[in-house]
Amino acid sequence: MKIDRRCFLSLAGGLVAGHLLSPVPWKVTDDLSIWTQNWPWTPVPETGPVAWKETVCTMCPGGCGIKVRMIKDRVIKIEGSEDYPINRGSLCPLGYSSIQYLYGPSRVTSPMKRTGERGSGKFEPVSWDEAISEVSGKLDALRKNGQSHTVACISGSDKGTVPLLFKRFLEAYGSPNFIRTPSGQDAHETAAYLAQGHSDKNVGFDLENATFILSFGCGLLDGGGAPGYQFSTYSRFDRRHTLVQVEPRLSNTAAKAKKWLAAKPGTEGALALGLARVIIENGLYNRNFIENHSFGFEDWTDDNGAIHMGFKRMVSEYTPSRVAGITGLEARQIESLARDFARAQKPVAVCGYNECRAVADIDKTLAVHALNALVGNINQSGGMIVFPDPEYTVSPVEKDRIASTGLTKPRADMAGTDKYPQSRYLLNLLPDILMSAKESDLPVQALLVTGANPVYTLEDSTTAQAAFAKIPFIVSFSSFMDETAQYADIILPDHHFLEGYRDVPPPEGVGKPITGLSKPVVSPRYDTRNTGDTIIDIARKMGGSISNSFPWDGYEAFLKEALKDQYRDLSRNGYVENVEKPAALDVAFATDSGKYEFYPTRRHTTGNGDEAKLPGFKETDVPGKETSGGVILIAYKSPRIASGAVANPPFMTKTIDADMLKKEKLFIQINPETAGKLNLKQGDEAVIETSAGKASVKVDLYDGIMPGLAAMPAGLGHTAYSRYIAGKGVNVNALLQPVADPTYGINKAWGIRAQLKKA
Amino acid sequence: MTTPAIPEGVKRCGSRQFLLWLGVAALVVLWGVYAMYRIWFYGLNQTNMNNAYGFALWIWADLAVIALGGGAFFSGFLAYIIGLKNVKNIINFAVILGVVCYTSALLILGLDVGQPLRGWFIFWHANVHSMLTEVAFCLSVYLGVLIIEFIPVLLENPKIQKVRFFHHLSHNMHEIMAVFAATGVFLSFFHQGSLGGVPGVLYGRPFAFREGLFVWPWTFFLFTWSAAAVGPLFTASMCRLTEAITRKKLVKDDVYHLLAKISGWMLLTYIIAKSIDTIYWATVTAPSMGFALMDFYSNNPLYNIWILVAEIAVCGFLPALILITRKGRENKKLLFGAAILAIIGLLINRWVMVLQVMAAPLMPFQEEWFMYSPAWTEVATSILPIAYGIILISLAYRYLPLFPQEKELNPGN
Amino acid sequence: MEKIPSHTKKRHFGMVIDLDKCTGCASCMVACYSENNISFRDEESVKMLSTNWIQVFKLTNGKPFPDTEVCYLPKPCMQCDGKHFGHSPCVSVCPAVATDFDYPTGIVSQIYTRCFGCRYCMAACPYHARKFNWWDPVWPADMEKYLSPDVSPRMRGVVEKCTFCYHRFQRARQQAYNEGRPEDIREDEYQTACTQACPSNAITFGDLDNPDHAVYKLKNSRYAFRLLERLNTNPSVYYLSTREWVHRAADNYLEHEQPAFSEEQQA
Ligand SMILES: Nc1nc2c(c(=O)[nH]1)N[C@H]1C(S)=C(S)[C@@H](COP(=O)(O)OP(=O)(O)OC[C@H]3O[C@@H](n4cnc5c(=O)[nH]c(N)nc54)[C@H](O)[C@@H]3O)O[C@H]1N2
Ligand SMILES: Nc1nc2c(c(=O)[nH]1)N[C@H]1C(S)=C(S)[C@@H](COP(=O)(O)OP(=O)(O)OC[C@H]3O[C@@H](n4cnc5c(=O)[nH]c(N)nc54)[C@H](O)[C@@H]3O)O[C@H]1N2
Ligand code: SF4
Ligand code: SF4
Ligand code: SF4
Ligand code: SF4
Ligand code: SF4
Ligand SMILES: [Mo]
Repeated sequence: MKIDRRCFLSLAGGLVAGHLLSPVPWKVTDDLSIWTQNWPWTPVPETGPVAWKETVCTMCPGGCGIKVRMIKDRVIKIEGSEDYPINRGSLCPLGYSSIQYLYGPSRVTSPMKRTGERGSGKFEPVSWDEAISEVSGKLDALRKNGQSHTVACISGSDKGTVPLLFKRFLEAYGSPNFIRTPSGQDAHETAAYLAQGHSDKNVGFDLENATFILSFGCGLLDGGGAPGYQFSTYSRFDRRHTLVQVEPRLSNTAAKAKKWLAAKPGTEGALALGLARVIIENGLYNRNFIENHSFGFEDWTDDNGAIHMGFKRMVSEYTPSRVAGITGLEARQIESLARDFARAQKPVAVCGYNECRAVADIDKTLAVHALNALVGNINQSGGMIVFPDPEYTVSPVEKDRIASTGLTKPRADMAGTDKYPQSRYLLNLLPDILMSAKESDLPVQALLVTGANPVYTLEDSTTAQAAFAKIPFIVSFSSFMDETAQYADIILPDHHFLEGYRDVPPPEGVGKPITGLSKPVVSPRYDTRNTGDTIIDIARKMGGSISNSFPWDGYEAFLKEALKDQYRDLSRNGYVENVEKPAALDVAFATDSGKYEFYPTRRHTTGNGDEAKLPGFKETDVPGKETSGGVILIAYKSPRIASGAVANPPFMTKTIDADMLKKEKLFIQINPETAGKLNLKQGDEAVIETSAGKASVKVDLYDGIMPGLAAMPAGLGHTAYSRYIAGKGVNVNALLQPVADPTYGINKAWGIRAQLKKA
Repeated sequence: MTTPAIPEGVKRCGSRQFLLWLGVAALVVLWGVYAMYRIWFYGLNQTNMNNAYGFALWIWADLAVIALGGGAFFSGFLAYIIGLKNVKNIINFAVILGVVCYTSALLILGLDVGQPLRGWFIFWHANVHSMLTEVAFCLSVYLGVLIIEFIPVLLENPKIQKVRFFHHLSHNMHEIMAVFAATGVFLSFFHQGSLGGVPGVLYGRPFAFREGLFVWPWTFFLFTWSAAAVGPLFTASMCRLTEAITRKKLVKDDVYHLLAKISGWMLLTYIIAKSIDTIYWATVTAPSMGFALMDFYSNNPLYNIWILVAEIAVCGFLPALILITRKGRENKKLLFGAAILAIIGLLINRWVMVLQVMAAPLMPFQEEWFMYSPAWTEVATSILPIAYGIILISLAYRYLPLFPQEKELNPGN
Repeated sequence: MEKIPSHTKKRHFGMVIDLDKCTGCASCMVACYSENNISFRDEESVKMLSTNWIQVFKLTNGKPFPDTEVCYLPKPCMQCDGKHFGHSPCVSVCPAVATDFDYPTGIVSQIYTRCFGCRYCMAACPYHARKFNWWDPVWPADMEKYLSPDVSPRMRGVVEKCTFCYHRFQRARQQAYNEGRPEDIREDEYQTACTQACPSNAITFGDLDNPDHAVYKLKNSRYAFRLLERLNTNPSVYYLSTREWVHRAADNYLEHEQPAFSEEQQA
């Protein structure tokens, strides 16, 4: 049959019509839409029976109790534990986000050996045996060379059993160089030592029972301190509670305070003294405390018959009008604040959660402690509480000759040396020490880093990077590929906290000594090991007295032994609370006078006389050159940015406002008045430069910041972890420059002079 | 003897020149097709739309081409229902323009939705309360009608006419075309209105929201009215453009004058209604929600108050007044100048009713206007219909007897 | 498979958010991401491309230093009742009934498998509560492991929004049914993830029509207001603030108009 055009056309037409009438096109259309509803690349989470497990969050030192929602071996959700005494159900956003660190691309999934340049992030996986042999081999060689004291350990904390194992290791090995990262603890510990005579005690504030909280710049609701504790305290506030925030910037805490007092930064000490004067002058102080439990309030005579100035006489110079001049507040405000504070049912003054980056100012801290002493709230409900570190009972270390010699050597960071005899750790000094040392006698030949990320968190991080790059051998124990891990030669990754045991020592600043226990809720996902186990393994491998000092089968055995009778309660309840009441006032102070010393007699000073010892106000100089049109850069904390412990997880970065971060650019906050002077507008591109570094930023005009200041959030500008974290904004530490306190060595620079110019 | 593909008695350019012309347009189409590929395979992240601009360039383009394609329905209405014979001289062209506009609109909608493969849910799970459902139904049915209207024109091609079946078919279809035209007019009246309803019912968006009659906001009527007014002007202008390109007279001037006169009066009444609507909205509706007129206009050039002046005065009253006067209509420059202004006015209207609605901040604590500029993919796909229209119209012009008056007007051939 | 109980009792769930309490910490946002499998990308700073079912805004009173005040305002989907009950701005426009007003709970639902992504609902919502899935969701490395089976991850090309954690309501209803009290869901049995997460207890959630629920009393407080109330969207989310400027910042007013609440009048 010949197919002509007509026939063809009708055939084609018929086919089309036939198909349309047949179910084929309809079925195909339907199937296509069903396919779009079940795209194979859109995950379908597996379901199963739900279980809840309780444990303790260690994403920051805040120590919150959490409930973990599990389906099989999967962690689905984290929620706050209602009956955990620290946070009572509250959690900060980092706690909710911690599942993003259990899973995800930031984890170090097995032991690693560096193959590329330092900081390049090139590593190859190695076996645990190989990695541990390499570490013990290096350490052994140094020891045999008589250089055991050149091994240092930087730890994010000096409390708890893992730091205890590191300290123990260094002791058995022969190095005095256990170094805790600089933190808010430093100033409080020093003040507690000077005024109360304690060397190993925690300073906490019983915020939950206080009715009037006077905060000198604490980021109570900005994710500072122990966020969970502070949030839960705040959530129970009612009309009877007052929070007053002294801060140069309207932070989240200031926004929620009944009163925000924008004192000039660095003048908080003067304000505390001004308040003290009003309180004393009006007889509003606690007579019982002053008369029976304090020393140095009035003028006093020493054994040699010399008359010394007392606290009362010293503060008499701090009249409201003078303090108003120093702080920029009004005299009237100072007087009424002093009255309100002293008359409150349970007042407490807090400061220095921001010590580490804003003034680690001993005088200020002493002055604030003195305010608490004046109202007699020391070791009282709702007051300032000092409690001992948890006690660990473990057998003494076995030291051989090398160890004993090594331990007598001066510390690499100069803490406890003649120059800084009353300081315990001075990591902030280490970069400069390393930079000025010759390669041949570098005081640190090998470095162990645990729970810390100094390459990122130290001020002047560029120098810190260069300094750490000089250290021949670095071992990181980090669970995550952080900046310091990228500088390491070997990474021995720790479990995530949901995968292993660890004790959670009482959080700094919290008014009750609660030790928690973090327990595994999932089996380890990767080839990681509890750092406690790893350190025991290294010690075992080194043999001799070092091995003998670590007789435990593993970390859990050590934990049980160290915690002794507490362990049972810990594993049953998840926490233990020291039920003992804070020490009664007649036995509370370990000073020579046995009392609270308003005049800290044991204070080591460079200067002479009463002025040097008493916590009078001294202007702190801000690093950098003063120039016209300059600003002073300060760092601030946002509750939406994790700025210690770990980098900001993707969930938290998602919460950051568009006026803080836009693409890779960070916004710097300045007052519109400052902006006018610098000819800057909202959203302008600008360059900020300090003696430490330079960064390009965008400008955010914020009425809530004091004119003349510029503020950058802490916690951004990471270069490591993963592409979800790195490359966002600027690390403010790269622009800051530490200034050492002449007698304590800790950093006291609360800001830095900077040039801010339109780009 | 082979039948020529080109209709008898008219002259067309050489095939080389024609292919070159098509080739240029085809390149633009290809660019658009590449953009389509990006969008369908990688998703709408290839555009610059965002959660503030859920509707953007495409929806504007959609509203615009549908409004302009309104020339087809209104010419149909005039020709078949009112019985203005003269309009029949341009009706084939109007129908083709309509086909181009409506197929383009559907294509853009197919791009614009996030899940095109599920697009048919709009019919299957139809929500009768939604203006968009109404639009979708009327639009697809009307496109069907347009194609039916187009078929007899297509069948006029000499080669196709050779097939007896088609010859008869075309003859029979011509007979019943008035029925389809009437249906089309009705459908078109509704979907033009529903398109107006799309923004008008958004009572959460005070810039768009209009009170109205029963379930229809005033924009429902205004959109139909404006499409009816400006659609024929668009048909006429395109026809004039074709004349310019082909350097031939294709329809007699009295056709233009007639359309212009009708459109002029339509436009005038429309713009008066629109002004009343605007005044009522600015003084009653918006203030009841706490907005003053100037809250809706910002100092950025896209959403400036001048846009309102341009729409109503410059592109509304001015062309309307030109077109209703004989002198204005009969001066070619004025006539087509006015037509272009009116078209721009319509485009502005659809622009503000889509984009400005999205741009104006509502929450007082969000002072920033939401800004958007289209991505190349959006531009390419929005230009694609123009190139595609050029190709379709060129083919139709070459192979179909579109203009009954062409032979008479160009006797030399 | 347990029988899904049918329910007849009418409830009207809603929230009261105390702005005097909210610290802007964003725990609610993060808890919502985690509860509802909200995806994330490496670039999240362009907020109009970022998916948040609840977003916390920072409002300032506009006064210069040091009289500046800040207020944080969390904004979930308002679950608008609309002009007439159920005629929510977004629901009434959806051509495919992919979003619906659930009369028994007053919650505006969203059916991801039916939505075809026309985004008309987004145009209709004055609160920007709706978010489009511009990208395929990707959970890098092994992050898919933490996804919850209670809420299906959304595919590219569809719209999503806060559902008042409707799956939690279903869970509570199932529980009540299993325990033989199908009509009796206790206040604490159904709480949204953000309410629970708020470390400052700024959010209260419950049945707005039930006098035994905390929200009932709170919504009638003289400090209560709603966002853009003058649009007649009739939100089910109320806010509390003792500050006049906050009331003013929550709605639009002509120059001579005043919000219903004023500090003077309260004093
Ligand atoms: N989630 C989470 N919580 C944490 C941590 C974590 O990593 N994650 N880390 C914990 C640790 S180690 C610490 S030390 C704390 C730190 O917690 P904080 O000390 O509270 O935090 P900082 O960022 O140091 O605080 C900076 C605040 O001080 C203000 N400020 C800056 N300069 C000055 C000044 O000169 N005077 C006054 N008065 N104010 C000033 C800034 O505006 C800012 O609000 O946080 C702890 N809490
Ligand atoms: N930008 C910025 N810099 C700061 C501060 C800030 O707020 N912002 N705060 C300052 C203060 S107060 C302090 S205390 C210091 C803190 O400084 P660091 O002590 O250096 O603190 P983190 O950044 O908390 O570093 C902790 C590191 O431990 C790793 N890690 C997390 N979990 C584990 C684990 O389970 N095991 C092990 N072995 N490692 C783990 C993480 O990768 C993380 O990088 O930083 C100071 N510098
Ligand atoms: S405050 Fe610290 S411990 Fe508590 S949830 Fe947040 S990160 Fe975890
Ligand atoms: S807030 Fe928006 S999405 Fe939610 S119900 Fe109202 S209109 Fe719909
Ligand atoms: S985007 Fe989805 S839910 Fe929204 S209107 Fe369109 S189909 Fe309905
Ligand atoms: S109610 Fe549930 S879905 Fe809505 S914002 Fe809160 S947590 Fe998210
Ligand atoms: S969690 Fe609570 S306090 Fe924090 S931002 Fe959300 S509503 Fe406000
Ligand atoms: Mo710290």
